[in-house]
Amino acid sequence: MTQEGNAGGGRIDVWTFALAPMAVVLAVVFVIPVGGLGLLSFHEMVGPAQISAAVTLANYRAFLTDPFFLRILLDTFGLGFAVVGCCLAIAYPVAYFLARLRSRFRGLLLFLVISPLLVSAVVRNIGWFPILGDQGLVNWLLLSLGLIRAPFKLMSNFTGVVIGLVHALLPFMLLTMTTVIQRIEPELEEAAANLGAGPLQRFWRVLLPLSLPGVLAGSLLVFTMAISAYTTPAILGGNRVLVMATYIAQQFRTVLDYPAGATAASVLVLTVGMLSYLALRLRPGGPEGQ
Amino acid sequence: MIRRAILPGVTALAFLFLFAPVLIVVLASFNAGAALSFPPHAFTTRWYTMIKPSFFDALTVSLIVASIATVVATLVGTPGALALARGRFPGREAVNAACLSPLMVPALVTGIALFQFSVIFWDISGLTLGGTIAGLVLGHLTFTIPFVVRAVLAAHARFDAALEEAAQNLGATPLQTFRWVTLPILQPGVVSGAIFAFVMSLDDVPIALFMGGGSATTLPVKIFTTVEFDFGGDIMAVAGLVVGASIVLMLVFDRLIGLEQFFGARQ
Repeated sequence: MTQEGNAGGGRIDVWTFALAPMAVVLAVVFVIPVGGLGLLSFHEMVGPAQISAAVTLANYRAFLTDPFFLRILLDTFGLGFAVVGCCLAIAYPVAYFLARLRSRFRGLLLFLVISPLLVSAVVRNIGWFPILGDQGLVNWLLLSLGLIRAPFKLMSNFTGVVIGLVHALLPFMLLTMTTVIQRIEPELEEAAANLGAGPLQRFWRVLLPLSLPGVLAGSLLVFTMAISAYTTPAILGGNRVLVMATYIAQQFRTVLDYPAGATAASVLVLTVGMLSYLALRLRPGGPEGQ
Repeated sequence: MIRRAILPGVTALAFLFLFAPVLIVVLASFNAGAALSFPPHAFTTRWYTMIKPSFFDALTVSLIVASIATVVATLVGTPGALALARGRFPGREAVNAACLSPLMVPALVTGIALFQFSVIFWDISGLTLGGTIAGLVLGHLTFTIPFVVRAVLAAHARFDAALEEAAQNLGATPLQTFRWVTLPILQPGVVSGAIFAFVMSLDDVPIALFMGGGSATTLPVKIFTTVEFDFGGDIMAVAGLVVGASIVLMLVFDRLIGLEQFFGARQ
């Protein structure tokens, strides 16, 4: 990193020159617009797509006291927790299996875990329609087996959004967990077994404590991605699920209350920012982490 | 015996879950019955002939935007990442964090922020950004640049500075060293960053939804806005084509750079 000796005063200019184009582009396309959106949250709406000149904190006061907004905030967190819970429940056993697998197909399996990510998110969402719809695969199976009498509502509601997000984010949880469990030496579990610990005890007292940092890191990552997502809640929620992302989009696409949307956006950005910062600090991993 | 079957069984189910929507898209696109009904009635390729031309226009827009955004991001991001890795200037850590921060802001927020910005920009300059290819490219630069930066930084972290010293000791000028030693070593990082940026640009909905519109509608946005109102077999056929194209792309990437390298860029 440090280049002693030949690093004269001129070097700084070279690197500044290399950095400048990127800094300018990012400032124009990102910093100024997002900053502007932040400022917008301090104005009030005076008509559709119209804002007041006066600066006020009223939007934030409304947002943090109105039960309607608190409901949205709560639902958003609820969505995040539901997605994290499902991802963990599926990812833990699978990651354990993959981490301990000694087979030449291991690489292929790990590749298959991430391969759905290469297919466009919109298309993956659409794939759930023939599965979860009233006449879809799941309801057809349940009806044919006589387990239910009327189709189950699995789409255009909270359930559908959870299923879609678990599907989209499971690969991230799986990758994180597999890496973490791989680092735990199998000998530790064998030692516990030799000392008379049953499978449950081995999991509870050896595996889980050692994998906890990975569980936490994966959960934070999945949680932030779940509450930031827009495409999946919009498509599988069918305009009926109101979480932060869908509420924000609604304010800008149809309701045209820009300040309210900007306020919700600022709250979301701050939340996600704090969680991302926490995730960075807690990131398991060795010196190779950037 | 039963206990031994639990883990492989759960793993098999998880894989079935991961692939279900992708497989079903292809299956449903050949279903002669109603688009969303199960089980499929009969085989047909009818839906594929009913795809509206506007979807192919949208695909063209997507490819143009992704190409330009990737080229610009690579040209701007690679020197930028090198500067972040090697330069010594005040506040380097902060600049580093700032350059990667767009990845931490929800794309939807970036999208509406840019939409607002384009309105104000139009007020001031009379130039239209919203609903143009240029606007879409600007929007996609917010994430394509950080992806390139991250990939190049990761490649640089594995860089052995002794190689450059050796070149210089053998009489290479700094420019020669850069051209013949530094760049070739960083090249895989640059390529995987660029490919990753390209794929993410093709995938984006929220930013293109707010910055696009009219003739500047990308394929994912076109699909997104179509299913908001109606859902027919032709949409399934479009989705089926996208799945097919994704599989081809995957095989090409595997040949070009190896997929492990590619996904390394995501971490």
